[in-house]
Amino acid sequence: MESVTQVFVSGLLSGGVYSLASVGLALIFGVAGLVNFAHGEYLMLSMYVAWAFYEFMGINPYMSMPLNLLLMAGAGFLTFKLIMERILESDHSIQMLITLALSMTLQNLALMVAKADYRTVRLEMTNHVINAGFLVVSTPRAIAFLVAALASAALWLFLSKTYAGAAMRAVAQNGKAAELMGISLKRVYCQAFVIGITLVGLAGLLLSPVYPVYPLVGAGFSTLAFIVVVLGGLSSVPGAAVGGLVIGVVESFAGYFAGPAYQQAAYFLLFIVALACRPEGIMGARAGLEA
Amino acid sequence: MKLTDKPLAATAALRDSIKKTPVMWALALLSLAPPFLTGSRYYQDIMALTLLWAGLSCAWNLYSGYSRRVSIGHAAFLGIGAYTSTLLYLKLGVSPWLGMLAGSAVSALAALLIGGLTLRLKGAFFVLSTIAFAKIMEVAAVTSKGLTGGSQGLTIHYDPSLANMIFASKSSYAALCWLYMMLCLLLCLWLERSRTGLLLTASGENQEAAESLGIHASAVMLAAFVLSAALTSMGGSIYAQYYLFMEPTSLMGLSSSVNFILLAITGGMGTAFGPVLGSMLLTPLSNLLRGGLTRVSGLHGFVLGLALLAVLIFKPDGILPQLRGFAAARLGRGGKRDA
Repeated sequence: MESVTQVFVSGLLSGGVYSLASVGLALIFGVAGLVNFAHGEYLMLSMYVAWAFYEFMGINPYMSMPLNLLLMAGAGFLTFKLIMERILESDHSIQMLITLALSMTLQNLALMVAKADYRTVRLEMTNHVINAGFLVVSTPRAIAFLVAALASAALWLFLSKTYAGAAMRAVAQNGKAAELMGISLKRVYCQAFVIGITLVGLAGLLLSPVYPVYPLVGAGFSTLAFIVVVLGGLSSVPGAAVGGLVIGVVESFAGYFAGPAYQQAAYFLLFIVALACRPEGIMGARAGLEA
Repeated sequence: MKLTDKPLAATAALRDSIKKTPVMWALALLSLAPPFLTGSRYYQDIMALTLLWAGLSCAWNLYSGYSRRVSIGHAAFLGIGAYTSTLLYLKLGVSPWLGMLAGSAVSALAALLIGGLTLRLKGAFFVLSTIAFAKIMEVAAVTSKGLTGGSQGLTIHYDPSLANMIFASKSSYAALCWLYMMLCLLLCLWLERSRTGLLLTASGENQEAAESLGIHASAVMLAAFVLSAALTSMGGSIYAQYYLFMEPTSLMGLSSSVNFILLAITGGMGTAFGPVLGSMLLTPLSNLLRGGLTRVSGLHGFVLGLALLAVLIFKPDGILPQLRGFAAARLGRGGKRDA
């Protein structure tokens, strides 16, 4: 029983970061209708930024967070202006291919600049654990979970309480009507994309103290985030948050009972079965962005 | 588009196609020659791969190109083909020629199962489900170590003979790949000019509308998907016999699946010759870049990625329709001047 609790909690903790990465993707898809298959590459980018601050200036990832997030927002803005703006109207499968080509470009750029080596950020707390008697929790993972939860809550508040958030939900519900109300579609799309990329960047920097960074580190995350988003009901932000936790727990249990090799297979299988039973997504794809 | 009641006779369709696209036909037929004209094994290798990938991309095009439903999981069928023929050969001594057919049967069955579950999904859902399928197959190959050797891979002993589908010269492999490419190309040409092809395109474009006209849209799409999988699987067996080595990730990973699509898209998806043209441009380019830009690792992928981004953003229909438009404009203007 003890070990089952342990497995559950550790799954929940990784799930927190998955949620954060996926929430950004759900926002981008829900608001701008963009399929971003290069999502994981931005996670890789922010991990490299966190590592560079640590390696060359001795600043730990938590302290460099504001600068890192600013850089990620800039990267998101540039990507939107250079690529995404041109393909807003394209077919989803074309968008998927374009963002796959983008992810290939970014991965190889990282390989050129940083080489294939695994880079680690080794903080004093990297191996530190919180021992709660029946439960042992790694400190950086607990911090990652807490910050991820706070960020998701902040996004929820932004969407439900602010004017800009309301505009975003309006665009997701009905773009044409929103435009007639005087909302600039392109600006809202751009905001959603930048926020989504910043959130996945946050996920990356939270991972950096516990996870080595290398050019392909983000590759698995794009598919994972997509599966989370589909399970959560495509454009639902809370759905993505819950979906991330579920995937984290499923992955953790599959790893514990069947072995690490089956972790990925477990959630891919879950995904196919879920789609076969409910083609419109687990929670059902309703029109508009839920917040 | 008018649906003809009876399909064009095969020979008439062929004649029609040769008349309409003489340049592409010449290119496809003549592509057999270069491997025999050069003595360099390096260039023969690139040519054989170009032909093989042209065939594979055609096989992908047969379903995804004409229905416009992109599968990013075809590497799974490549893997099924490679592993089936190789395991039969290594464990039971069955000739890879037969193994190739057995592999196709297994792939067709797998496609029937997975297609039955996922073909009704739309847009991003379908694409994701194909990625998931390939990933599951890859993990299955990695974990069943006793059978597949896991990520260590399988090696086929070099024992050249026709029955073993192992050849000493690379040009023989090139000829085999050429035959495979022609098979896939002819099937695509047939499909393009048949009623079934029109039904497939109509069903892919708007399934509800097609069904309301009395088309069994899901049956047509499933049939095309199964055929495409079986053809891809044959290419997988050839792939295995060419490299004499296989390993789950390079065979069935995402980048392998993506390659099918990039070739087809660059040339022009949904056109029979598009994937052939795409492979003739990209496979040599990619291999030469890989050979030439070795000093900085990643440079070759970076250049290729940028090139693909440019093609996809600015010419999403691929190169072939552009060439056709260009040729038509030139001919049209020439015609006017004559008149």
